[in-house]
Amino acid sequence: MTRRSWAWHLLMVVILVVLLYPVGWLVSASFKPAEEVLTGLSLLPSHPTGDNYTQVFGGVAGYSVWHYFANSVVISVGAVVGNVISCSLAAYAFARLHFRGRGPMFGFMLSTIMLPQHVVLIPQYVIFQKLGMVDTFWPLVLPKFLATDAFFVFLMVQFIRALPGELDEAATIDGCGPVRTFRYVIAPLLRPALITTAIFTFIWTWNDFFSQLIYLNDPGRFTLPLALQIFVDQTSQSAFGPMFAMSVLALLPIGLFFFAFQRYLVEGVATSGLKG
Amino acid sequence: MNGRFGGLRAGLVAMVAVTLAGLVTGCGGGDAASGSTTIRFVWWGNEDRAKVTKAAVDLFMKDNPGITVQTEYAAYDAYFQKLSTQVAGGASPDLIQLDRATLGEYQHRHVLEDLTSSVGKTIDVTGIAPTLLAGGQVEGKQYAVPGGQTTQMLAYDPAVFTKAGVEPPSGPGKSWTWAQFGEALRKVAATGVAGTTDFGWAIDWFEVWLHQQGKQLYGDDGKLGFTAADLTRFWTLTGDLRAAKAVTAPEVTTKMDGSMPNSGLVTKHAGSEVNYDSSLTAYLSSYGPGIKAAPLPTDGTTSGMAAMPPVTFAVAQRSAHKDAAAKLLSFLVNNPEAGKLLGVARGLPPNTAIREQVCGAAQAATKAVCDYEKSVADRIGPATGLWPTGSAAVKRDFQRVYDDVIFGRTSVADGAARVVQTAQQSLGS
Amino acid sequence: MTQAVLDRPGGSVKPARPVPRRRRAGQGTGYLFLSPWLIGVLVLTIGPMIASLYLSFTDYDLFDAPHWVGFDNYVTMFTRDDRFWHATGVTARYVGLSVPLKLGLALAVAMLLNRAHRGAGLYRSAFYAPSLLGASVSLALVWRAMFSTGGTADRVLAAFGLGTGGWVDRPQFALLTVVALAVWQFGAPMVIFLAGLKQIPKELYEAAELDGAGPVRRFRSVTLPMLSPVLLFNLVLETIHAFQSFTGAFVVSSGRGGPSDSTLLYTLYLYQRGFTDFRMGFASAMAWVLLVVIGVLTALLFRGSRRWVFYAGEGR
Repeated sequence: MTRRSWAWHLLMVVILVVLLYPVGWLVSASFKPAEEVLTGLSLLPSHPTGDNYTQVFGGVAGYSVWHYFANSVVISVGAVVGNVISCSLAAYAFARLHFRGRGPMFGFMLSTIMLPQHVVLIPQYVIFQKLGMVDTFWPLVLPKFLATDAFFVFLMVQFIRALPGELDEAATIDGCGPVRTFRYVIAPLLRPALITTAIFTFIWTWNDFFSQLIYLNDPGRFTLPLALQIFVDQTSQSAFGPMFAMSVLALLPIGLFFFAFQRYLVEGVATSGLKG
Repeated sequence: MNGRFGGLRAGLVAMVAVTLAGLVTGCGGGDAASGSTTIRFVWWGNEDRAKVTKAAVDLFMKDNPGITVQTEYAAYDAYFQKLSTQVAGGASPDLIQLDRATLGEYQHRHVLEDLTSSVGKTIDVTGIAPTLLAGGQVEGKQYAVPGGQTTQMLAYDPAVFTKAGVEPPSGPGKSWTWAQFGEALRKVAATGVAGTTDFGWAIDWFEVWLHQQGKQLYGDDGKLGFTAADLTRFWTLTGDLRAAKAVTAPEVTTKMDGSMPNSGLVTKHAGSEVNYDSSLTAYLSSYGPGIKAAPLPTDGTTSGMAAMPPVTFAVAQRSAHKDAAAKLLSFLVNNPEAGKLLGVARGLPPNTAIREQVCGAAQAATKAVCDYEKSVADRIGPATGLWPTGSAAVKRDFQRVYDDVIFGRTSVADGAARVVQTAQQSLGS
Repeated sequence: MTQAVLDRPGGSVKPARPVPRRRRAGQGTGYLFLSPWLIGVLVLTIGPMIASLYLSFTDYDLFDAPHWVGFDNYVTMFTRDDRFWHATGVTARYVGLSVPLKLGLALAVAMLLNRAHRGAGLYRSAFYAPSLLGASVSLALVWRAMFSTGGTADRVLAAFGLGTGGWVDRPQFALLTVVALAVWQFGAPMVIFLAGLKQIPKELYEAAELDGAGPVRRFRSVTLPMLSPVLLFNLVLETIHAFQSFTGAFVVSSGRGGPSDSTLLYTLYLYQRGFTDFRMGFASAMAWVLLVVIGVLTALLFRGSRRWVFYAGEGR
């Protein structure tokens, strides 16, 4: 038993080192002085310096790091709330309810996942422009409340389909209609999928550079990734050191967010359903 | 389990509260003072350029209390992505920064306002040399005003060249021929590092060589001004140097795009590099303070180099406040205080008087640029040869085909023919 | 909101349905739950999709009004554009390499993590970390530096005697850099696999073991079938994402798709045509072709899935 444990741990550590090496590289690059950042190819900085971090904390475009950070948080959290609510509603409809056109609509929903962003970009921009929502957070958050992330609807549909139909029937026998069945039976059991949705939505929204770029004009509304790209302009001298430092700072909260919620991720649904 | 579910619910409620609060504050958009005109001015560049530009804009707003200027800036790629989206979506900024690659494109698609009528009235161009001013003209009309001046140079590390026993011609009146240049590169290569980065990758340096042959990249009609034979000769020149390892290996050359992190010089794969002198300050900070600048080699009396605007400012045709935008333009280019603030952030100041002022008080990096420009002032040509619509594709294809050439996937002659063929297609559009 | 419970059979406003109202929800409920999605789809998806379909039949340079050219874009794409076919080939190779590797690795590591060892939770979070960063520009830049000549990958390979030189700057290897970046982010599908694995009742494994099934047999007969819905989900999504992959290739090649167009993914070429060359009509056509291809592939995957996917919740 112990030898197996050892072997397992060893394997895990090896994978860990290989996987996290680039992250380590990123962190060490954030401590490298300007001349070394991209040209010095060793892992450890030869002249470690905190200058990059000092520069970052001095603010970018007139605002502090925390300001951009807060913007990113508001948008990402808004997206999470939107997706969790709207996608679960839609998924329940597709997975458990019967209505005319369900099949074709589901197929259509799946196909929307395949649409490349760059092309619906301009028509969508025009719509938001006409609604006067450009240069606000709305274009980044509102679509999430309308279940436009078909990925998560699909995810939840698959999860719900894996739940035994007997649970629904039991609820119906107890007098629950579809709404109450959803609220008291399905939704609680959907928790792992909801957590997954929350985590992925948070991170993808956080990193969705392109949308943030075109909908946010005033630097005061910039998100962290947007503020980061200012450092890397190919026509002037790029400040990679501070950019890496800012990336590291951006990493920490995402990591904490994930760490806090990932415990919920792997709670077995079937186990609690059958035993509870 | 109930307890944890309750905790999750509380968490959700908290999140909703935070979001609502944030959305409300994030929504507050209107900041236009009543009764004043608000215009949007956009440019690309890094933090340093942004700082000085915003300072200049603040000065303008002080002098013009009825005009509020909102500024936006981004890195080069992001800037144009955003600009196209904004213009296409009907939210075009008022004052736009463009460069050589994009001026022809945007003018062709009727995005820019013809400023010819404003010249002499709202926009003062008397301080700008006509040869430079030509860099903002399309079909004889002034569509943009130069925001700076730059010219081609060879940035080099004197230490590397001294070790090889060579001294590049740096200083007024000094120059070298292609043969001398090649000799120097081979000597440097003998010391273990390439003499210069392979300059065959960029259509910009081909342009200099073409000028020396009395030709141009593009004719006035917007069609190609060179033949496959021309390009073959140029690429054979670089090919010979490459065979002698006097220029960088393909793996280094393929990464180059004019930026510092991808530069063969900065990554110490070569002792020098061809670029525009507006990058000189960047080289000095990325590589080290020893970098100097020398002119490009030429066999005749024509240097092939030209004084051109690295950036130009243009007014959007759909702007609702063209006058205000034009005023800001003129201010940025002509106001002495603004000129002092902007310094050499966009190359040398276009206004000759401001240039003398800035160069007179220049230190370190700024001084290096000023000195170089002064040393070659007598031989640089006018900023002609507008890059027409389709030229962005031509530039890209040029580099792509050169990749194939240096990696041995195609011969120089075939490559040159392909470039000309695809260029004709791109320009025909 | 509980109208389905309150309504009496036969006494309703809706047309009579053969199914007793108590057992099945009416259509209204379905549409009610679906309403946010319906609004979103109509306004933000269908509208722009129709617009982009229209654009694909035009020559649209983003600034002037689009003008109709019929099938020109499509004809040019398929018959007169070498780079289009090249980009398609590059993308096919990219998808063919990255998806199986990524999913295989994800499943393998998920199964390793499913063992009740101490610290599994920590490892799980750590393995997921790359997915947090992977899509970012910072990391793609780090990746580029690591795979350059003289970079980490080069030196490690050289130590093993496989001196290939830097990958990023050589046409034969550059695409592998982008593939590696994609596979590196296997944490996302891994986490989903793990959730699926946890759902498998232990009793099934115990029963199989009692029946004398070894680990391989248990994997084939218990794990795979029970995991199949999740596997299908991951397979479909990862394939779609792979076809749409953009940022990694964009940053690693500095936006050019080089060296020598070896990393010119379809989306990268689309972007170049649309935004740099101002041929938005052509780019829209390319996007629709991509959409159709992905749609066909997904349909095939679903069609084939009927043979190997098993849903516990819809058993008969």
